[in-house]
Amino acid sequence: MSRYDVNVLLYRLKKDRELREKFKADPSKALADADLTDDEREAFVRWDLRRLNELGGSLHLLLSIPGLGGH
Amino acid sequence: MGQIVYAAAMSHVLHPEYYETNVGPRGRRMVEDLIAVVREMGRDLIARHPDAIVIVADDHLNVFSFDAVPAMCVRVGRTVRRMVQDDPIEFDRALDGLPDRYPLHEDLAQRILEQGMEAGFDFAASWSGALDHAFLSPLTTLYGDQPSPPLVPFWVNCFVPPPPTARRCFDAGRHIARVVAASPWNVAVIATGGLSHFPELSLARVGESDPAFDRRVVGWLEGGDHEAMRGLTTKELHETGSHELLNWIVLVGAVAPARARVRFFGEMGRVDLAAVEWPV
Repeated sequence: MSRYDVNVLLYRLKKDRELREKFKADPSKALADADLTDDEREAFVRWDLRRLNELGGSLHLLLSIPGLGGH
Repeated sequence: MGQIVYAAAMSHVLHPEYYETNVGPRGRRMVEDLIAVVREMGRDLIARHPDAIVIVADDHLNVFSFDAVPAMCVRVGRTVRRMVQDDPIEFDRALDGLPDRYPLHEDLAQRILEQGMEAGFDFAASWSGALDHAFLSPLTTLYGDQPSPPLVPFWVNCFVPPPPTARRCFDAGRHIARVVAASPWNVAVIATGGLSHFPELSLARVGESDPAFDRRVVGWLEGGDHEAMRGLTTKELHETGSHELLNWIVLVGAVAPARARVRFFGEMGRVDLAAVEWPV
């Protein structure tokens, strides 16, 4: 299963520089309006890539978000 | 009568720096050896003077995002752009320095789409999708500094579940071959991706490949065992990290019953690399 809201947000973080910079500066604030479960929100705020992947986040997005991608 | 005048499949991150960073000097050397082979294959391809090149590859969540993900999609229009990514990292750096715009073969693309509808293939069409490394890294390695003939980019959804089945991909390749045969054009067909890497698309398993599976697949290609390729299940492809073989299976459908000639096979660990040609 891929989780739509998690992946839409990951996609925006890759493609939208403005959102990415806001997220880097203050993750909780940047995600205030995002439709996420508590678990998903926590994984984003902690930038826990493995957890985001377990929650359905696309590997290719997790690997390629500028300045935030994992290996 | 048109014909397929060249057919080959190959890995698609032909970018030494990526492997240097993620695998080390051994990875760099292996991909440099592969690049040398692909350039040699490019000389054969160029000598066939194709009127068009169908490139079968996947989208790495760059074009289709999650608004709608087609199982298979044909790029239409007159030209296509290279994907532009701010501050690219990882495999997106393979696009650095490549030309911005490439010609498309709109007439062949339309025939694949329209005759597809008649034949039961309701492919999606894209007028705006840009091309990422899956298309452009092999193309620009094959053609070097020379301009390529017009392209027909053909996307297969390899990564967003549920992907199309291997059998459906094979049949789509048969369809492409029939369209080409009924056309006036000489066409090259290139498939890209793989071999095994990123099993289960799990971040925890990045760095693993499945050499035993890859050896089996290469054996099937060499032996012309197309039933084995068609019979691969979505589960097998996912567990071994062979998602991108779906692109290759489209090509196998297009060239069957031809047997492959393996030009390069390398077991790297993070990903196994290959370049394969079919006599057509």
